[in-house]
Amino acid sequence: MANQGLSYEGCNFLRQRLVLSTLSGKRVRIKNIRSKDDDPGLRDFEASFIRLLDKVTNGSRIEINQTGTVLSYQPGLLYGGSIEHDCNPQRSIGYYLEALLMLAPFMKMALKATLRGVTNDPNDPTIDMLKTTAVPLMKKFGIDGEGFDLRVVKRGMAPGGGGEVIFTCPIRRTLKPVQLTEPGKIKRIRGVAYSVRVSPQMSNRIVESTRAVLNQFIPDIYIYTDHMKGANSGKSPGFGLTLVAETQDGCFLSAEMSSTPQGQGDPILPEDLGRNCAKLLLEEIYRGGCVDSSNQSLALLLMTLGQQDVSKVLLGPLSAYTIEFLRHIRDFFQVMFKIEVQKPLEDERKGGDKVLMTCVGVGYSNINKTIK
Amino acid sequence: PEETEEMNEEEMEEEEGVLRWKEGLQQKAAEAFLRHQEAAPNLRKLVYGAVLEAGNSEDEEEELGGLFRVSRPQKSRKVQADAVDCSRFQPDTSHNWDLEEMLDTIRDCFVTGKWEDGQDAA
Repeated sequence: MANQGLSYEGCNFLRQRLVLSTLSGKRVRIKNIRSKDDDPGLRDFEASFIRLLDKVTNGSRIEINQTGTVLSYQPGLLYGGSIEHDCNPQRSIGYYLEALLMLAPFMKMALKATLRGVTNDPNDPTIDMLKTTAVPLMKKFGIDGEGFDLRVVKRGMAPGGGGEVIFTCPIRRTLKPVQLTEPGKIKRIRGVAYSVRVSPQMSNRIVESTRAVLNQFIPDIYIYTDHMKGANSGKSPGFGLTLVAETQDGCFLSAEMSSTPQGQGDPILPEDLGRNCAKLLLEEIYRGGCVDSSNQSLALLLMTLGQQDVSKVLLGPLSAYTIEFLRHIRDFFQVMFKIEVQKPLEDERKGGDKVLMTCVGVGYSNINKTIK
Repeated sequence: PEETEEMNEEEMEEEEGVLRWKEGLQQKAAEAFLRHQEAAPNLRKLVYGAVLEAGNSEDEEEELGGLFRVSRPQKSRKVQADAVDCSRFQPDTSHNWDLEEMLDTIRDCFVTGKWEDGQDAA
Protein backbone atom coordinates (compact mmCIF):
# COMPACT_ATOMS: atom_id res chain seq x y z
CA MET A 1 0.00 0.00 0.00
CA ALA A 2 2.82 2.37 0.85
CA ASN A 3 4.40 2.30 -2.59
CA GLN A 4 0.94 2.48 -4.15
CA GLY A 5 0.54 5.99 -2.80
CA LEU A 6 -2.83 7.42 -1.94
CA SER A 7 -6.03 6.35 -3.56
CA TYR A 8 -9.25 8.29 -4.11
CA GLU A 9 -12.50 8.04 -5.98
CA GLY A 10 -14.40 10.41 -8.20
CA CYS A 11 -13.54 13.58 -10.07
CA ASN A 12 -14.34 16.02 -7.28
CA PHE A 13 -11.39 17.76 -5.57
CA LEU A 14 -9.11 16.71 -8.41
CA ARG A 15 -7.05 19.88 -8.20
CA GLN A 16 -6.30 19.71 -4.48
CA ARG A 17 -5.35 16.06 -4.75
CA LEU A 18 -2.91 16.65 -7.56
CA VAL A 19 -1.48 19.80 -5.98
CA LEU A 20 -0.89 18.14 -2.61
CA SER A 21 0.55 15.12 -4.35
CA THR A 22 3.00 17.35 -6.21
CA LEU A 23 4.06 19.20 -3.07
CA SER A 24 4.41 16.12 -0.90
CA GLY A 25 5.90 13.90 -3.60
CA LYS A 26 3.37 11.18 -2.84
CA ARG A 27 1.85 9.21 -5.65
CA VAL A 28 -1.89 9.43 -6.11
CA ARG A 29 -4.37 7.24 -7.91
CA ILE A 30 -7.92 8.36 -8.62
CA LYS A 31 -10.42 5.83 -9.87
CA ASN A 32 -14.13 5.77 -10.70
CA ILE A 33 -14.00 9.18 -12.34
CA ARG A 34 -17.59 9.71 -13.48
CA SER A 35 -17.80 5.93 -13.90
CA LYS A 36 -21.61 5.96 -13.59
CA ASP A 37 -22.00 8.91 -15.90
CA ASP A 38 -23.38 8.63 -19.43
CA ASP A 39 -20.22 10.30 -20.58
CA PRO A 40 -17.60 8.71 -18.32
CA GLY A 41 -14.07 9.79 -17.60
CA LEU A 42 -12.12 13.00 -17.42
CA ARG A 43 -13.47 16.10 -19.13
CA ASP A 44 -11.50 18.35 -21.43
CA PHE A 45 -10.91 20.98 -18.77
CA GLU A 46 -9.47 18.38 -16.42
CA ALA A 47 -7.19 17.11 -19.14
CA SER A 48 -6.17 20.71 -19.75
CA PHE A 49 -5.40 21.13 -16.04
CA ILE A 50 -3.27 17.99 -16.04
CA ARG A 51 -1.35 19.26 -19.06
CA LEU A 52 -0.70 22.53 -17.22
CA LEU A 53 0.62 20.56 -14.25
CA ASP A 54 2.86 18.64 -16.60
CA LYS A 55 4.24 21.93 -17.96
CA VAL A 56 5.32 23.29 -14.59
CA THR A 57 6.87 20.04 -13.41
CA ASN A 58 9.73 17.96 -14.65
CA GLY A 59 9.51 14.19 -14.81
CA SER A 60 5.89 13.71 -13.76
CA ARG A 61 4.37 10.42 -14.81
CA ILE A 62 0.71 10.58 -15.69
CA GLU A 63 -1.28 7.55 -16.72
CA ILE A 64 -4.92 7.58 -17.72
CA ASN A 65 -6.83 4.49 -18.75
CA GLN A 66 -8.68 4.23 -22.03
CA THR A 67 -12.06 5.41 -20.77
CA GLY A 68 -10.48 8.13 -18.66
CA THR A 69 -12.01 6.82 -15.43
CA VAL A 70 -8.69 6.02 -13.74
CA LEU A 71 -5.88 8.50 -13.32
CA SER A 72 -2.57 7.75 -11.68
CA TYR A 73 -0.09 10.51 -11.07
CA GLN A 74 3.48 10.27 -9.94
CA PRO A 75 4.71 13.81 -9.29
CA GLY A 76 8.01 15.06 -10.63
CA LEU A 77 9.96 18.10 -9.51
CA LEU A 78 8.45 21.54 -9.68
CA TYR A 79 10.40 23.32 -12.35
CA GLY A 80 8.56 26.51 -13.24
CA GLY A 81 10.19 29.00 -15.58
CA SER A 82 8.35 30.62 -18.42
CA ILE A 83 5.28 28.74 -19.56
CA GLU A 84 2.28 29.36 -21.78
CA HIS A 85 -0.96 27.50 -21.57
CA ASP A 86 -4.28 27.56 -23.36
CA CYS A 87 -6.79 26.87 -20.61
CA ASN A 88 -9.83 24.98 -21.76
CA PRO A 89 -12.78 27.43 -21.78
CA GLN A 90 -15.13 24.99 -20.01
CA ARG A 91 -13.70 26.47 -16.81
CA SER A 92 -12.28 29.92 -16.31
CA ILE A 93 -8.59 30.64 -15.77
CA GLY A 94 -9.35 31.02 -12.06
CA TYR A 95 -9.84 27.26 -11.86
CA TYR A 96 -6.32 26.66 -13.14
CA LEU A 97 -4.78 29.58 -11.33
CA GLU A 98 -6.04 28.56 -7.90
CA ALA A 99 -3.86 25.47 -8.14
CA LEU A 100 -0.96 27.37 -9.67
CA LEU A 101 -0.97 29.85 -6.77
CA MET A 102 -0.42 26.95 -4.39
CA LEU A 103 2.52 25.57 -6.37
CA ALA A 104 4.24 28.72 -7.62
CA PRO A 105 6.36 29.61 -4.54
CA PHE A 106 8.01 26.19 -4.58
CA MET A 107 9.35 26.09 -8.11
CA LYS A 108 12.99 25.71 -9.08
CA MET A 109 12.83 28.78 -11.28
CA ALA A 110 10.52 31.72 -10.70
CA LEU A 111 7.29 31.13 -12.56
CA LYS A 112 6.05 33.32 -15.37
CA ALA A 113 2.83 31.86 -16.65
CA THR A 114 0.85 33.21 -19.56
CA LEU A 115 -2.63 31.71 -19.40
CA ARG A 116 -5.22 32.12 -22.12
CA GLY A 117 -8.91 31.41 -21.88
CA VAL A 118 -11.92 32.68 -19.94
CA THR A 119 -10.95 35.33 -17.38
CA ASN A 120 -14.42 35.86 -15.91
CA ASP A 121 -17.29 33.46 -15.48
CA PRO A 122 -19.92 32.99 -12.77
CA ASN A 123 -18.58 29.68 -11.40
CA ASP A 124 -14.94 30.10 -10.47
CA PRO A 125 -13.08 32.91 -8.72
CA THR A 126 -12.21 35.45 -11.36
CA ILE A 127 -8.74 36.82 -11.94
CA ASP A 128 -9.79 40.16 -10.46
CA MET A 129 -10.82 38.43 -7.25
CA LEU A 130 -7.66 36.35 -6.94
CA LYS A 131 -5.62 39.46 -7.57
CA THR A 132 -7.29 41.39 -4.76
CA THR A 133 -7.49 38.58 -2.18
CA ALA A 134 -5.07 35.71 -2.83
CA VAL A 135 -2.06 37.88 -3.67
CA PRO A 136 -2.13 39.96 -0.44
CA LEU A 137 -2.77 36.77 1.52
CA MET A 138 0.34 35.14 0.13
CA LYS A 139 2.34 38.25 0.95
CA LYS A 140 1.57 37.68 4.61
CA PHE A 141 3.38 34.37 4.41
CA GLY A 142 6.52 36.05 3.10
CA ILE A 143 5.89 35.51 -0.58
CA ASP A 144 6.42 39.00 -1.89
CA GLY A 145 8.95 41.27 -3.43
CA GLU A 146 9.28 42.31 -7.01
CA GLY A 147 8.00 40.01 -9.66
CA PHE A 148 4.89 39.04 -7.73
CA ASP A 149 2.13 40.06 -10.06
CA LEU A 150 -1.14 38.96 -11.54
CA ARG A 151 -2.35 40.93 -14.50
CA VAL A 152 -5.28 40.76 -16.89
CA VAL A 153 -3.89 41.60 -20.32
CA LYS A 154 -7.01 40.73 -22.27
CA ARG A 155 -10.41 40.12 -20.80
CA GLY A 156 -12.35 37.13 -22.09
CA MET A 157 -15.83 36.41 -20.83
CA ALA A 158 -17.48 32.98 -20.85
CA PRO A 159 -18.31 31.08 -22.98
CA GLY A 160 -16.00 32.27 -25.77
CA GLY A 161 -13.01 33.30 -23.74
CA GLY A 162 -10.12 34.84 -25.60
CA GLY A 163 -8.64 36.47 -22.51
CA GLU A 164 -5.06 36.48 -21.39
CA VAL A 165 -3.53 36.63 -17.93
CA ILE A 166 0.10 36.93 -16.88
CA PHE A 167 1.08 35.57 -13.50
CA THR A 168 4.57 35.92 -12.13
CA CYS A 169 5.65 34.66 -8.72
CA PRO A 170 8.99 34.68 -6.93
CA ILE A 171 10.24 31.51 -5.25
CA ARG A 172 10.78 31.05 -1.55
CA ARG A 173 12.83 28.54 0.37
CA THR A 174 10.67 28.66 3.49
CA LEU A 175 7.43 30.30 4.51
CA LYS A 176 6.78 32.51 7.50
CA PRO A 177 4.33 31.30 10.13
CA VAL A 178 1.44 33.73 10.63
CA GLN A 179 -0.84 34.85 13.43
CA LEU A 180 -3.97 36.21 11.81
CA THR A 181 -6.42 36.22 14.67
CA GLU A 182 -7.85 39.73 14.54
CA PRO A 183 -9.28 40.92 11.23
CA GLY A 184 -9.69 44.52 12.32
CA LYS A 185 -12.41 46.84 11.12
CA ILE A 186 -13.26 47.46 7.52
CA LYS A 187 -11.93 50.84 6.48
CA ARG A 188 -12.77 50.91 2.81
CA ILE A 189 -14.42 49.09 -0.03
CA ARG A 190 -12.93 48.91 -3.48
CA GLY A 191 -14.12 47.21 -6.61
CA VAL A 192 -13.83 46.75 -10.32
CA ALA A 193 -16.85 46.90 -12.59
CA TYR A 194 -15.86 45.52 -15.95
CA SER A 195 -17.57 45.24 -19.25
CA VAL A 196 -16.57 43.99 -22.67
CA ARG A 197 -18.40 44.05 -25.98
CA VAL A 198 -21.36 45.82 -24.40
CA SER A 199 -22.03 49.51 -23.86
CA PRO A 200 -19.46 51.06 -21.47
CA GLN A 201 -22.47 52.54 -19.72
CA MET A 202 -23.11 49.11 -18.18
CA SER A 203 -20.25 49.52 -15.70
CA ASN A 204 -21.60 52.87 -14.56
CA ARG A 205 -25.03 51.39 -13.97
CA ILE A 206 -23.45 48.63 -11.87
CA VAL A 207 -21.48 51.11 -9.79
CA GLU A 208 -24.50 53.21 -8.97
CA SER A 209 -26.68 50.40 -7.65
CA THR A 210 -23.79 48.90 -5.68
CA ARG A 211 -23.04 52.15 -3.90
CA ALA A 212 -26.67 52.49 -2.94
CA VAL A 213 -26.42 49.35 -0.81
CA LEU A 214 -22.94 49.78 0.62
CA ASN A 215 -23.16 53.47 1.45
CA GLN A 216 -25.33 52.54 4.44
CA PHE A 217 -22.18 51.25 6.11
CA ILE A 218 -19.20 53.23 5.00
CA PRO A 219 -18.55 56.29 2.85
CA ASP A 220 -15.12 55.25 1.54
CA ILE A 221 -16.16 53.29 -1.53
CA TYR A 222 -14.48 53.45 -4.88
CA ILE A 223 -15.35 51.19 -7.77
CA TYR A 224 -13.17 51.39 -10.84
CA THR A 225 -14.76 50.91 -14.20
CA ASP A 226 -12.80 48.83 -16.64
CA HIS A 227 -13.95 48.70 -20.21
CA MET A 228 -11.64 46.83 -22.55
CA LYS A 229 -11.93 47.33 -26.27
CA GLY A 230 -10.89 45.79 -29.55
CA ALA A 231 -8.36 42.98 -29.40
CA ASN A 232 -8.37 43.07 -25.59
CA SER A 233 -12.05 42.35 -25.22
CA GLY A 234 -12.17 38.63 -25.96
CA LYS A 235 -14.79 36.75 -27.89
CA SER A 236 -17.99 37.05 -25.82
CA PRO A 237 -19.93 40.00 -24.46
CA GLY A 238 -20.51 40.39 -20.75
CA PHE A 239 -20.02 42.45 -17.63
CA GLY A 240 -19.50 41.91 -13.94
CA LEU A 241 -18.30 43.24 -10.64
CA THR A 242 -15.70 42.29 -8.05
CA LEU A 243 -15.93 43.95 -4.64
CA VAL A 244 -13.35 43.83 -1.89
CA ALA A 245 -13.56 45.11 1.68
CA GLU A 246 -10.20 45.99 3.20
CA THR A 247 -9.68 46.07 6.96
CA GLN A 248 -7.21 48.15 8.92
CA ASP A 249 -5.10 45.08 9.57
CA GLY A 250 -4.80 44.30 5.89
CA CYS A 251 -7.34 41.51 5.58
CA PHE A 252 -9.40 41.32 2.42
CA LEU A 253 -12.92 39.97 2.06
CA SER A 254 -14.43 39.88 -1.37
CA ALA A 255 -17.49 38.99 -3.38
CA GLU A 256 -18.20 38.98 -7.05
CA MET A 257 -20.74 38.36 -9.71
CA SER A 258 -20.61 38.01 -13.47
CA SER A 259 -23.34 38.36 -16.04
CA THR A 260 -24.90 35.16 -17.34
CA PRO A 261 -22.79 33.83 -20.22
CA GLN A 262 -24.30 34.49 -23.62
CA GLY A 263 -26.85 31.83 -24.51
CA GLN A 264 -26.97 30.21 -21.06
CA GLY A 265 -30.12 31.17 -19.19
CA ASP A 266 -31.78 34.48 -18.39
CA PRO A 267 -29.80 37.68 -18.83
CA ILE A 268 -29.33 39.88 -15.79
CA LEU A 269 -29.67 43.65 -15.55
CA PRO A 270 -26.56 45.54 -14.46
CA GLU A 271 -28.53 47.22 -11.65
CA ASP A 272 -29.58 43.84 -10.23
CA LEU A 273 -26.08 42.51 -10.58
CA GLY A 274 -24.65 45.43 -8.62
CA ARG A 275 -27.22 45.15 -5.87
CA ASN A 276 -26.90 41.36 -5.55
CA CYS A 277 -23.14 41.50 -5.56
CA ALA A 278 -23.19 44.11 -2.78
CA LYS A 279 -25.39 41.75 -0.76
CA LEU A 280 -22.95 38.92 -1.39
CA LEU A 281 -20.25 41.13 0.05
CA LEU A 282 -22.37 41.76 3.15
CA GLU A 283 -22.82 38.01 3.44
CA GLU A 284 -19.06 37.55 3.19
CA ILE A 285 -18.54 40.17 5.88
CA TYR A 286 -21.10 38.35 8.05
CA ARG A 287 -19.06 35.16 7.68
CA GLY A 288 -15.96 37.21 8.33
CA GLY A 289 -12.58 36.03 9.52
CA CYS A 290 -9.16 37.14 8.34
CA VAL A 291 -9.32 35.22 5.09
CA ASP A 292 -11.87 35.36 2.32
CA SER A 293 -14.05 32.24 2.06
CA SER A 294 -12.70 31.28 -1.34
CA ASN A 295 -9.09 31.44 -0.13
CA GLN A 296 -9.50 29.35 3.00
CA SER A 297 -7.71 26.37 1.55
CA LEU A 298 -4.81 28.47 0.23
CA ALA A 299 -4.28 29.91 3.71
CA LEU A 300 -4.47 26.48 5.34
CA LEU A 301 -1.96 25.04 2.88
CA LEU A 302 0.54 27.84 3.48
CA MET A 303 0.11 27.35 7.24
CA THR A 304 0.81 23.65 6.86
CA LEU A 305 3.92 24.25 4.80
CA GLY A 306 5.31 26.94 7.13
CA GLN A 307 8.33 26.59 9.38
CA GLN A 308 8.02 24.39 12.44
CA ASP A 309 6.17 26.96 14.43
CA VAL A 310 2.59 27.64 15.42
CA SER A 311 0.36 29.40 12.91
CA LYS A 312 -3.09 30.70 13.71
CA VAL A 313 -5.72 31.97 11.33
CA LEU A 314 -9.25 33.07 12.06
CA LEU A 315 -11.72 31.96 9.39
CA GLY A 316 -15.41 32.26 8.77
CA PRO A 317 -17.42 29.02 8.61
CA LEU A 318 -15.57 26.33 6.68
CA SER A 319 -16.78 25.59 3.18
CA ALA A 320 -17.31 22.00 2.04
CA TYR A 321 -14.31 22.42 -0.22
CA THR A 322 -12.15 23.48 2.73
CA ILE A 323 -13.30 20.59 4.89
CA GLU A 324 -12.25 18.15 2.21
CA PHE A 325 -8.98 20.04 1.84
CA LEU A 326 -8.28 19.59 5.56
CA ARG A 327 -8.78 15.85 5.17
CA HIS A 328 -6.42 15.81 2.24
CA ILE A 329 -3.80 17.76 4.17
CA ARG A 330 -3.99 15.06 6.82
CA ASP A 331 -3.57 12.36 4.18
CA PHE A 332 -0.61 13.96 2.46
CA PHE A 333 1.22 15.80 5.26
CA GLN A 334 -0.08 14.13 8.44
CA VAL A 335 -1.06 17.52 9.81
CA MET A 336 -4.26 17.96 11.76
CA PHE A 337 -5.53 21.37 12.72
CA LYS A 338 -6.87 22.44 16.04
CA ILE A 339 -10.33 23.79 15.26
CA GLU A 340 -11.99 26.11 17.75
CA VAL A 341 -15.37 27.73 17.22
CA GLN A 342 -15.62 31.31 18.42
CA LYS A 343 -19.14 32.41 19.10
CA PRO A 344 -19.81 36.13 18.96
CA LEU A 345 -20.51 37.92 22.24
CA GLU A 346 -24.08 38.88 22.94
CA ASP A 347 -23.86 42.59 22.27
CA GLU A 348 -21.37 42.23 19.46
CA ARG A 349 -22.53 43.04 15.95
CA LYS A 350 -19.83 41.30 13.98
CA GLY A 351 -21.64 38.61 12.06
CA GLY A 352 -21.74 34.87 12.71
CA ASP A 353 -19.53 32.21 14.28
CA LYS A 354 -15.86 32.24 13.46
CA VAL A 355 -13.42 29.36 13.45
CA LEU A 356 -9.89 29.62 14.79
CA MET A 357 -7.54 27.25 13.00
CA THR A 358 -4.22 26.39 14.62
CA CYS A 359 -1.45 24.13 13.40
CA VAL A 360 2.27 23.58 13.55
CA GLY A 361 3.94 23.81 10.16
CA VAL A 362 5.78 20.82 8.77
CA GLY A 363 8.88 22.91 8.05
CA TYR A 364 8.58 22.42 4.33
CA SER A 365 11.53 23.74 2.44
CA ASN A 366 11.79 24.22 -1.25
CA ILE A 367 14.35 21.63 -2.28
CA ASN A 368 13.94 22.62 -5.91
CA LYS A 369 15.27 26.13 -5.42
CA THR A 370 18.89 26.52 -6.41
CA ILE A 371 21.17 28.11 -3.86
CA LYS A 372 23.13 31.01 -5.25
CA PRO B 1 -9.60 13.50 47.75
CA GLU B 2 -12.74 14.59 45.83
CA GLU B 3 -15.01 13.03 48.35
CA THR B 4 -13.41 14.82 51.23
CA GLU B 5 -13.72 18.11 49.41
CA GLU B 6 -17.41 17.57 48.88
CA MET B 7 -17.80 16.62 52.49
CA ASN B 8 -16.09 19.79 53.52
CA GLU B 9 -18.31 21.85 51.29
CA GLU B 10 -21.45 20.30 52.63
CA GLU B 11 -20.33 20.79 56.20
CA MET B 12 -19.59 24.42 55.51
CA GLU B 13 -23.00 25.00 53.99
CA GLU B 14 -24.76 23.37 56.90
CA GLU B 15 -22.83 25.53 59.29
CA GLU B 16 -23.34 28.84 57.58
CA GLY B 17 -26.53 28.23 55.63
CA VAL B 18 -26.01 31.37 53.56
CA LEU B 19 -23.80 30.15 50.78
CA ARG B 20 -26.58 28.48 48.85
CA TRP B 21 -25.07 29.36 45.51
CA LYS B 22 -22.18 27.14 46.34
CA GLU B 23 -24.43 24.11 46.12
CA GLY B 24 -23.15 21.55 43.68
CA LEU B 25 -20.56 23.95 42.44
CA GLN B 26 -18.30 21.17 41.38
CA GLN B 27 -21.09 19.43 39.54
CA LYS B 28 -22.05 22.64 37.81
CA ALA B 29 -18.49 23.17 36.72
CA ALA B 30 -18.27 19.61 35.47
CA GLU B 31 -21.46 20.04 33.47
CA ALA B 32 -20.29 23.28 31.95
CA PHE B 33 -17.01 21.65 31.06
CA LEU B 34 -18.74 18.73 29.38
CA ARG B 35 -21.06 21.04 27.50
CA HIS B 36 -18.08 23.00 26.27
CA GLN B 37 -16.24 19.82 25.32
CA GLU B 38 -19.19 18.58 23.36
CA ALA B 39 -19.65 21.79 21.43
CA ALA B 40 -15.99 22.33 20.64
CA PRO B 41 -14.87 19.06 19.04
CA ASN B 42 -18.02 18.80 16.97
CA LEU B 43 -16.44 20.62 14.10
CA ARG B 44 -13.28 18.59 14.50
CA LYS B 45 -15.35 15.44 14.34
CA LEU B 46 -17.10 16.75 11.27
CA VAL B 47 -13.79 17.37 9.56
CA TYR B 48 -11.65 14.46 10.69
CA GLY B 49 -14.11 11.89 12.03
CA ALA B 50 -16.49 11.46 9.13
CA VAL B 51 -14.02 9.62 6.95
CA LEU B 52 -13.98 6.54 9.15
CA GLU B 53 -17.75 6.23 9.05
CA ALA B 54 -17.95 6.83 5.32
CA GLY B 55 -15.70 3.86 4.65
CA ASN B 56 -18.46 1.46 5.67
CA SER B 57 -20.94 2.65 3.09
CA GLU B 58 -18.88 1.07 0.31
CA ASP B 59 -20.71 -2.19 -0.26
CA GLU B 60 -24.28 -1.20 0.27
CA GLU B 61 -25.27 -2.23 -3.21
CA GLU B 62 -28.18 -4.59 -2.87
CA GLU B 63 -28.45 -7.64 -5.02
CA LEU B 64 -31.65 -8.77 -6.63
CA GLY B 65 -31.73 -12.53 -7.07
CA GLY B 66 -27.98 -12.61 -7.10
CA LEU B 67 -27.87 -11.45 -10.69
CA PHE B 68 -28.78 -7.79 -10.88
CA ARG B 69 -27.53 -4.96 -8.79
CA VAL B 70 -29.58 -1.98 -7.75
CA SER B 71 -27.74 1.04 -9.05
CA ARG B 72 -28.46 4.15 -7.05
CA PRO B 73 -26.44 6.93 -8.57
CA GLN B 74 -28.21 9.51 -6.41
CA LYS B 75 -26.60 8.11 -3.27
CA SER B 76 -25.15 11.14 -1.58
CA ARG B 77 -21.55 10.10 -1.16
CA LYS B 78 -21.12 8.87 -4.69
CA VAL B 79 -22.69 12.04 -6.03
CA GLN B 80 -20.35 14.13 -3.92
CA ALA B 81 -17.36 12.19 -5.25
CA ASP B 82 -18.25 13.22 -8.78
CA ALA B 83 -19.54 16.70 -8.01
CA VAL B 84 -18.12 19.85 -9.55
CA ASP B 85 -14.68 20.77 -8.26
CA CYS B 86 -15.26 24.37 -7.18
CA SER B 87 -13.88 26.35 -4.25
CA ARG B 88 -16.69 28.87 -4.11
CA PHE B 89 -18.64 29.11 -0.86
CA GLN B 90 -22.34 28.51 -1.39
CA PRO B 91 -24.06 31.51 0.23
CA ASP B 92 -26.63 31.08 2.96
CA THR B 93 -29.89 31.99 1.25
CA SER B 94 -31.77 32.37 4.53
CA HIS B 95 -30.19 35.77 5.10
CA ASN B 96 -32.26 38.60 3.75
CA TRP B 97 -30.01 41.61 3.37
CA ASP B 98 -32.93 43.93 2.71
CA LEU B 99 -33.91 43.79 6.36
CA GLU B 100 -32.62 46.35 8.81
CA GLU B 101 -32.05 43.69 11.53
CA MET B 102 -29.81 41.74 9.20
CA LEU B 103 -27.79 44.82 8.35
CA ASP B 104 -27.43 45.51 12.06
CA THR B 105 -25.69 42.18 12.66
CA ILE B 106 -22.55 43.39 10.90
CA ARG B 107 -22.48 47.10 11.79
CA ASP B 108 -19.44 46.80 14.07
CA CYS B 109 -17.33 45.14 11.38
CA PHE B 110 -16.83 48.61 9.93
CA VAL B 111 -14.79 51.53 11.24
CA THR B 112 -18.05 53.40 11.39
CA GLY B 113 -19.42 50.94 13.97
CA LYS B 114 -18.92 50.75 17.72
CA TRP B 115 -15.36 50.37 18.99
CA GLU B 116 -14.24 48.20 21.86
CA ASP B 117 -12.82 49.91 24.95
CA GLY B 118 -9.11 50.41 24.69
CA GLN B 119 -9.21 50.68 20.96
CA ASP B 120 -9.07 53.93 19.17
CA ALA B 121 -10.11 55.09 15.76
CA ALA B 122 -6.70 56.63 15.23
